[in-house]
This record gives sequence, structure tokens and C-alpha cells, in this order.
Amino acid sequence: INHIVHNGGLYKRPFNEAFEETPMLVAVLTYVGYGVLTLFGYLRDFMRQWKIEKCQNATEREEQKDFVPLYQDFENFYNRNLYMRIRDSWNRPICSVPGAKVDMMERVSHDYNWTFTYTGRVIKGIINMGSYNYLGFAQKTGACQEAAAKVLSQYGAGVCSTRQEMGNLDKHEELEKLVARFLGVESAMAYGMGFATNSMNIPALVGKGCLILSDELNHASLVLGARLSGATIRIFKHNNMQSLEKLLKDAIVHGQPRTRRPWKKILILVEGIYSMEGSIVRLPEVIALKKKYKSYLYLDEAHSIGALGPSGRGVVEYFGLNPEDVDVMMGTFTKSFGAAGGYIGGKKELIDYLRTYSHSAAYATSMSPPVVEQIITSVKCIMGEDGTTIGRARVQQLAENTRYFRRRLKEMGFIIYGNEDSPVVPLMLYMPAKIGAFGREMLKRNIGVVVVGFPATPIIESRARFCLSAAHTKEMLDTALKEINEVGDLLQLKYSRRRLVPLLDRPFDETTYEETED
Amino acid sequence: MNVGVAHSEVNPNTRVMNSRGMWLTYALGVGMLHIVLLSIPFFSVPVAWTLTNIIHNLGMYVFLHAVKGTPFETPDQGKARLLTHWEQLDYGVQFTSSRKFFTISPIILYFLTSFYTKYDPTHFILNTASLLTVLIPKLPQLHGVRIFGINKY
Repeated sequence: INHIVHNGGLYKRPFNEAFEETPMLVAVLTYVGYGVLTLFGYLRDFMRQWKIEKCQNATEREEQKDFVPLYQDFENFYNRNLYMRIRDSWNRPICSVPGAKVDMMERVSHDYNWTFTYTGRVIKGIINMGSYNYLGFAQKTGACQEAAAKVLSQYGAGVCSTRQEMGNLDKHEELEKLVARFLGVESAMAYGMGFATNSMNIPALVGKGCLILSDELNHASLVLGARLSGATIRIFKHNNMQSLEKLLKDAIVHGQPRTRRPWKKILILVEGIYSMEGSIVRLPEVIALKKKYKSYLYLDEAHSIGALGPSGRGVVEYFGLNPEDVDVMMGTFTKSFGAAGGYIGGKKELIDYLRTYSHSAAYATSMSPPVVEQIITSVKCIMGEDGTTIGRARVQQLAENTRYFRRRLKEMGFIIYGNEDSPVVPLMLYMPAKIGAFGREMLKRNIGVVVVGFPATPIIESRARFCLSAAHTKEMLDTALKEINEVGDLLQLKYSRRRLVPLLDRPFDETTYEETED
Repeated sequence: MNVGVAHSEVNPNTRVMNSRGMWLTYALGVGMLHIVLLSIPFFSVPVAWTLTNIIHNLGMYVFLHAVKGTPFETPDQGKARLLTHWEQLDYGVQFTSSRKFFTISPIILYFLTSFYTKYDPTHFILNTASLLTVLIPKLPQLHGVRIFGINKY
């Protein structure tokens, strides 16, 4: 499916997203793969039960065998038999700052990944394609680090209180004013943890009798916050505006399920960039729908703040829209700013309300001062207020890296999901064995990647996810692309049916040769 | 390993049978089983067909109606732990296309088997009994029903 939208006046630039369909042969082979793994899993479980093979998992004591099982045997099936086999691709211990290159501790396993031992060697200089380091602020030298070190010696590391008690530092006030100015909203509030920002603040905004329309592929924090709030949740198909409009119409016409009363609030939950798909939300259409049906919009810019837009202000600037149209702008400082925490921005009344009623404000410890200073310095750098053009250069470098990387991968013939401009690049692997193989082969070639499989993704859509960074130089990207090319040939990952002619922006069709003919 | 970190699907097991290529894989799997059985020189054609039917129904019964719960932890706090895979399909909504497909395919296999065994009485009894074990649990009235408490927990 290839969407190139030039939708009247709503989109000021082409919105180019592609989610190529799984080739049928690949899908069949993937199921066969999972089937074989399941059968072998049953066989191994049988052998473990009858003590032919040693059981490495936790089991109940002999006396408790007749009780209700404490360790749910079948729920652990996938973990024991599939995840354990390829477990060395995850939880890899790193021992340096996760910038463009990272050091990793080498570990080996002598019993097929049940236990790991460290060899003591540190693999240095692994190209890091997995960190959410979009603007390259994960550094241990530079202006951010110096400012943070100074604040550390001045304020200490801990705050030891919540925002509403003794934990409201002047640094927090400075940060919030700065973030509000950066986003173009009236006021903002910052929290210590990005996940907690979503899960603790959505219950403060909506409650029983409200309706939440959430995208199919929303992050676990949004889903958790929506469930905790007690509102009714309806899910619309991913980025599908017809589905959203239908749900909105039905909600307004039919009201609440049995009583038919009107909904107290309708809140649309979307994300800026979806990290598993690499797709960007169709924000102009969502805002048009929101205004037409008079509902509220909660935009989670976890991955898109700093990464999109000509000056890094996120997906709202990318589409050239007014930040005041989005009612609640949420984001995290974890990804582009190299720190930790999240923020919510919006109208002053909304943020004042959240300062009183948010669970994080009342119960969670506030942000640590050096982290706050890191964010302040990095935001000023992006805005250009520190007197240099480093921020601007980084945003542009990220955009160039994104375009270049995606173009080269598509030319090589891999199936890449997502929008042309998103720095998150999922490369489809499909088969369960290739997940483990890809992770290991890339590590052998000194490139660190993140791979994901079922059940975190749909069963046939396991993928490797590359996160590009402004800190990646073109040489690093070229090295990475060369290795990906090699591994792709080795593992036969080049499934794409569409071959892009290198100089063209569109796939082959009958008119292609007309332009290059003499 | 976290279920559902990339989507709000509470129980991915409900969607597995709807995914692209699953029906084709299933049909090819049954075909492969049949070819393997036909290749064994001791079995005559009727015996091979009856064996295909019985093994297919046995497999379907075990995987769809006997095994309960999910092979991974789901964030729904154990709602699906006592449900078989058939009951979990599409969150319990009846008469979806996957359910129709998996109800019709043993019936088609039964027709073919009856034809190739030339309606012989012994084969007929075996095939019909095996078909009934696989059709009766699929009835909507038997959703969540455990006869005599078998397979309840």
C-alpha cells in the first residue's frame, strides 16, 4: 500500500507512506517456521517433564505439584521455547554513553542462552542504530554536559520530594517556561518519567462517561492511561481517517451505550511518530476532524519532538499547523533531548489544573536537577539561543540522514515501513529465525540493532528497527548500509517487489524508460 | 519480552487466524499431511484418506479446543487463561470469517474422505465420529461449556 497524498490544501508537502504487503510465500514460510518451533517446543516440554532433559526454568516444589500451578506453565511457553533461543539479541549490557558509537560488554552462553557469562572483553565502537538519540545529545562532552555537571555540584542529584511538597525547584519553573516557549503553547509542565506522564495524566483529564478514541498502534503508556481513567475506549484503524470519522459520527449520534446520553468529552489519542511502524500521524486531517466534531486532541510527540520540522519543534511544525489547535501536547525528553522525563503543554488553565490534579504532581518525585539542566541546555541549543547554529545543523543533519538511509535501503530491495521523513526505520524480517540471526550477524559486524518479533508485533511482521541520529556521519551510515546489504544477501531479506530506479522517486512502471531513452 | 508493546491488541492470539496467508498455510499443511500418508506403501487410498481425516481432526481438536490460554502473558489479567483458542478467536464474536472457514474445512475433508473410501461402513463410523468431535465444540451454544468439568482449569 503506497499513499502519496496531496490532499487539497491540507497538506503543504507530499505525505509519502508505504507499508508494502507481505509476500505470500514469505507469510507461509513464517507460519511454517512458527509451527515447527511450536512442535519442537512441545517436544522439549515433554522431555523436560519426563526428566529426560534438565529443566532450567522455575518449577514448583515436588510437594506442590498437585496444587493450582504457581508458575503458569503454558503462559511461559513462548518465553521458554522461542524467546530463550534468541535472547542474546536483547538486554545487551552497554558500558559507555549511547551516542553514535557505543561499547558493549561481550557475553557468551554455554547452555543455549539460559545463562550468560561475561568474557571480560569490551567490544568498542559499535555503531549504534538502536538508541533514540535523534539529535545526538547523548554525549559525555559538550555544553550540555558542562552545564549539567555545574548544576549537579550546585543542587545535588536528588530532589527528595514531590512537586506539590518541597520538590518544586526554580530549575523546574525555568524548564517549564522554556518548554512552553519552544512548543509555542501557553504553559507546560514537566514530569520525571515519560511513561508516567501518559499513564498518570490521562486519568486526570478524562473519566467515566467520556470517550477515548485511540489509534490501533498506540504505545503501552497511552493504553494504560486510557484504561486507568475508566473512560470508554474505542480503537480506530491505524492512521485511517475514515475509520476515525466513522467512530466520531457514531459516538455523537448514538451517545453513551445504554443511556444514549451525550458523551462528556471525546478525546482523540494519537502519536506523532509511531515507533514500531515509522509512520507519521495525519495531523492536518485529524485537526480538521477534531474541529468539525468538537472533540479534543491529545498528541503524544515522544518520538517526533526534535526530530521533525525545520527547526525541530515536532510534528505540528512539520505540517505547518498552529500549536493552539492541539489541546494537549505531550512529549518526552528521553529521545531527542538526551535526558529523561516527559512534559505536557497546552492552555494555561489546563496546565494549572494538571498541576493540582495530576497523580505525578502529587505523588511522584520531581525531576532531578542535572537532568533538568541537560534539557534546558539542549532546548536552548535547538532553538539557537545559545548563540551557535549547532541545533539547526543537527536538525538538518537528521533530516538528511533519514532521507539518505531510507533511499539507500529501498534501492537495495528491503521492505521498509513508514513515512519518508521519519527517522525510525523498520526493516521487515518476517521469519522468527531471522530475528535472532539478524541481531547476531549485525553484532558480529559491529553494528547494534534492535529487533522485535511476535507478540510485540503482529505474527508475520517481525522487524528490525533502526533509529537514525544526527550524530551519525555519512561514513557511519555507509558502513552500516554496507553491512546491512551483506547481511541482507546472506539471510535473503530483500523481499521488496518494487525496485526503485535510483534516480526516480517512483517505482517502475511502463513509462519509466521513456525518460531515459535517447 | 512484553506482549503488546507496539499495539493495543490485548490478546494477539485472537488475530492469528485472520492474518495474511494463514488459511493458505493451513490448506497446504493438510495437503502435505495427505501426500505423506499416501506415500507410505502399506496404506491403501481409503486408509490414507481416513487417516488424514482422523489426524487432521485430532490435531484440530488438540490445538483449538483442548489447549487453553495463551503461550505468552497478556495484559488482560488472565481473562483468556481458561479459554481455548477457538473461544479466544476474535474475542468470542461468533460467525466471523475465520470461524466459518475452520468449521467448513473439516466438513469438506469429510466429504472427500467419504468419497474416496467408497462409503465403506467401518470407515464411515470412524470418520463421522471424528468429525463430530471437531464440529460440536465449535457450536456457539458450547462457547465456554465444559462437559463433566473436563478441561475446566
